[in-house]
Amino acid sequence: MIAVPISTTTFQTNALNSIEALETALSKTQTQLSTGSKIQTAADDPTGMAQVNELNMQLSASQQYVSNGNLATANLNLETQALTDATNLMQSVRDLAVEANNAALSASQRQDIATQLSQQLQQLVAIGNRTDSNGNYLFGGYASSTQPFAQNGNSVSYGGAGQVSQVQISENQRISAGDTGSSVFMNLPAGNGTFTTAAGAGNTGTASIGPGSVTNPSQWVPDTYTITFSDPTDYTVTDSSGATVTTGTYDGAAGGTIAFNGIQVTVNGSPAAGDTLTVAPAGQTSAFATLSSLVTTLSSTTLSTGQIATQIGQAIEQIDGAINNLGNVSASVGGRLNAVTASQSAAQSRQTGLKTSISNLSSTDYAAATTQLSTEEIALQAAEESYASLAKLSLFNYVS
Amino acid sequence: MADLLSTSVSGLLAFQQALDVTSNNISNAATPGYSVETANFSEAPGQSTGIGFLGSGVDVHSITRNYNEFLAQQVRDSQASYSSSHTLASQAAQVDGMLSDSSTGLTATLQSFINSLQSVASTPTSTSARQALLNQAQALAQQLTSYDSQISQFGSQLETQLSSDVSQVNGITSNIASLNRQIAAESTAGQTPNQLMDQRDQLIDQLSQFVSVHTATESNGSMDVYIGTGQALVTGGNAAKLSTVPGTYNASELGIAISGGGGTPADITSEISGGELGGLLSARSQVLDPARNAIGQVSVAVATIVNQQQQSGMDMTGAQGQPMFSVGGVQVLADTNNTGSASLTVTRGALSALTTDDYKLQNTGGTWQLTDVTTGQSVAMSGDGSLANPFQAAGLSIVTGSGAASGDSFLIQPTAAATGGFAVSLTRPAQIAAASLVQGTTGSSNTGGATVSVASVTDPSAWVSDTYTVTFGAGNAYTVKNSGGTQVASGTYSSGTPISFAGTQLSLSGSPANGDTFTVGPNNPANTGDNGNILAMSDALQASALSGGTASVTGSANSLISQIGVITQQAQSNATAQQTVNQNATTARNNVSGVNLDQEAAKMLQYQQAYQAMAQVIQASNQMFTSLITAIGNG
Repeated sequence: MIAVPISTTTFQTNALNSIEALETALSKTQTQLSTGSKIQTAADDPTGMAQVNELNMQLSASQQYVSNGNLATANLNLETQALTDATNLMQSVRDLAVEANNAALSASQRQDIATQLSQQLQQLVAIGNRTDSNGNYLFGGYASSTQPFAQNGNSVSYGGAGQVSQVQISENQRISAGDTGSSVFMNLPAGNGTFTTAAGAGNTGTASIGPGSVTNPSQWVPDTYTITFSDPTDYTVTDSSGATVTTGTYDGAAGGTIAFNGIQVTVNGSPAAGDTLTVAPAGQTSAFATLSSLVTTLSSTTLSTGQIATQIGQAIEQIDGAINNLGNVSASVGGRLNAVTASQSAAQSRQTGLKTSISNLSSTDYAAATTQLSTEEIALQAAEESYASLAKLSLFNYVS
Repeated sequence: MADLLSTSVSGLLAFQQALDVTSNNISNAATPGYSVETANFSEAPGQSTGIGFLGSGVDVHSITRNYNEFLAQQVRDSQASYSSSHTLASQAAQVDGMLSDSSTGLTATLQSFINSLQSVASTPTSTSARQALLNQAQALAQQLTSYDSQISQFGSQLETQLSSDVSQVNGITSNIASLNRQIAAESTAGQTPNQLMDQRDQLIDQLSQFVSVHTATESNGSMDVYIGTGQALVTGGNAAKLSTVPGTYNASELGIAISGGGGTPADITSEISGGELGGLLSARSQVLDPARNAIGQVSVAVATIVNQQQQSGMDMTGAQGQPMFSVGGVQVLADTNNTGSASLTVTRGALSALTTDDYKLQNTGGTWQLTDVTTGQSVAMSGDGSLANPFQAAGLSIVTGSGAASGDSFLIQPTAAATGGFAVSLTRPAQIAAASLVQGTTGSSNTGGATVSVASVTDPSAWVSDTYTVTFGAGNAYTVKNSGGTQVASGTYSSGTPISFAGTQLSLSGSPANGDTFTVGPNNPANTGDNGNILAMSDALQASALSGGTASVTGSANSLISQIGVITQQAQSNATAQQTVNQNATTARNNVSGVNLDQEAAKMLQYQQAYQAMAQVIQASNQMFTSLITAIGNG
């Protein structure tokens, strides 16, 4: 190695430069240790910073979804309670209807039942108008600030919206935060869902017609059919144009079924000659309408026994339909509650994962940083000591 | 005898002078810019004698400084690179520090804003959730405008530093010129004024902290200094003046001009590289301008997306939503040298085509040419620039008007001024349009199983408020009629594809039957629990709506943060590397030019001993003379 004379200034400057560099490194390590973060600004690790920002956003969004889910759960639990109460109420309405479906009851006994049913109608309206903790109507749909059900006498109308708000419970999952009053109470099938039955208003016999059932849906032609008894045992079925669909005989004592066009209906009691029974395509009804027409039926003093029996039978069929619908909505709400629970527990583990990733990317590795700190300390000490001892050396010390 | 004495005296004098030089070296051991000096001995001319040429002693024929021009230039080059990187790094670090905070930074604020939208969506009738959203919007606006004003502040500090650097450069160059004059005057054959030359070298070193320079030495000893591609800063005894001039487009962004020997100053901004000046100019074009533009893009994106969605919605009072944010427009700056009278009107078009670049629109012989200033690429435009058919390019719509002269040009900054005008324009929680502007209903006598799943306004500008009826015919064919019975659209429905008309979309679930009807009409003001629009707003803000559909708003904000981080990191590591190069170059130069005290001590001893020896020779000469006199006297 060739000895190159190093100027005295260079010796001093170089020594100082290396001490300064070590001090800078030491201060950086110290900052990492004291802040617990190895990324102070994006310049320390641009990719890492971008990842940390992205993960932090995901974490924040995930926490928002969990809180959305909590709100949805609260509302859905209230709805479940309302549905259960409505089901119980409809069950007791059904019990009363069954009790009333007895030809032996007197008009005043039926009136007592009708009075009870009127109160239950009011209770059902009250359930439909229940609110959540913020005063929003559970069954109003979008129109959550407007009372959805209005009762005018025995008639109940729905003023809510046809759609419900959606709640985002995870990055790609939205659920309905409730159900509209129309889907829960209003848009229910009338009769047995396919057709309704009625006994002629001017019937003089006691014959009543049951709600009936469909035996072969492909043969059913929607139309209004009239069953006309020419005498107590013989009947003709005609369609709306008057064309005869079928004819048959009826055994009044045993009761019997009349079947045509893929359906069958059960007829009870004794028809008189000229009595008519009708079968018409089902439209829609509501739980309230079913209840209020039952009240009307039971309060009536003019209806024949055949009409009363027919209407009570139809009401029971419709109450069953309403209870069935409440059950379906409850099941759907339960499914949504499960979805919230599932997404929240997924969110929990995702948040744990995100926090771990954020920590891995941005937190100081204390063991490594501490080791580095002591290495740098030793290096700085060595640099300072060697500088101090070398700086003393000078030929002038020996010139006398 | 006389020869012996005179030879000795020449030695005494020479070693005394050498000791003077050594003493000067030792005294200047710590003087910056000092080059170690050497006394150069040469043998005095000999006298011809019969026995040959007899030496007549020693002369110090010159005192020279140990100096290597190549090493000195290396120090300057590395100094200029280091200053440039260091300046860029410290400017970038300001922006980096401003943007880098993962808990309170821009991405976190944007996410909080989106979360607030979600909170309103979860409880659309809650006034407190709506108020929280307005507060969050305010926080977002404050953060964006604070970033923008901080960048402006960094910018004005940068301009101030630029001006101060220019005046320092002028001070240095005029000193160099005056030293040049003195050096030229005092230099004689072979002898140079070392002290003045040290001073001049040190001034050139200082100059290279401000700007990258190169030098050429003239025969009279003066040194010419050049910058850029050969603009002379100093020629002999004359120094050219640098000055700051307002930018041709943006008067507040200063340029640098040079004026030598009268005449109008020539703009040499693009020629400047290295040193603090180069670093400042890079910081402006690589850090401050792009950061301002990128923040502007975020402002434009948030305002455009949220406002469009607000206008697609119905607020709590039942009215159509009003814009939530105001945002600054496109900034158009005319070249101050324009001779024509045209002024541009530029508006923003499609958000996804909007970039963070600046553009130059130049008229050449009546033809307009658009150039992306950032990339230098020319950009194709459609349209003819008229009001009826504006130029369309880069997400901009440009109306040129008339009166442009050939050679006129304009700088178009699509997003630079956006954040300055970014503010929340809604004041009341009820003004948040959480509900859709329209509602869809399923016909009551429908026989099919289809129901309305979503009815929403997708283009509020195309929406004409009315009740529209969609009627299905055979084979999923449908017609759409307005309330007056006029058909506005028709088509064939395919399951899962929304039906679009009059700026709205209708999505169905289930299969419609022949004869089924659906209506889309103004939403019912009672539908305060409708959150369809606010959910759509949350979706739209997270969708990839920027950069040709490749980046979301939060993604763009995040990539801005990491881009500034990358620039800062690169500048910092360049600065560190250049610092090492500079230290090495300085060491190499100082090993030649610096004072080594041990070396000087050794030389001092050497000269001292030689001086003492010379004195001994004089004494010997005296003794010889005495012995001779004594011998004669005794004889």
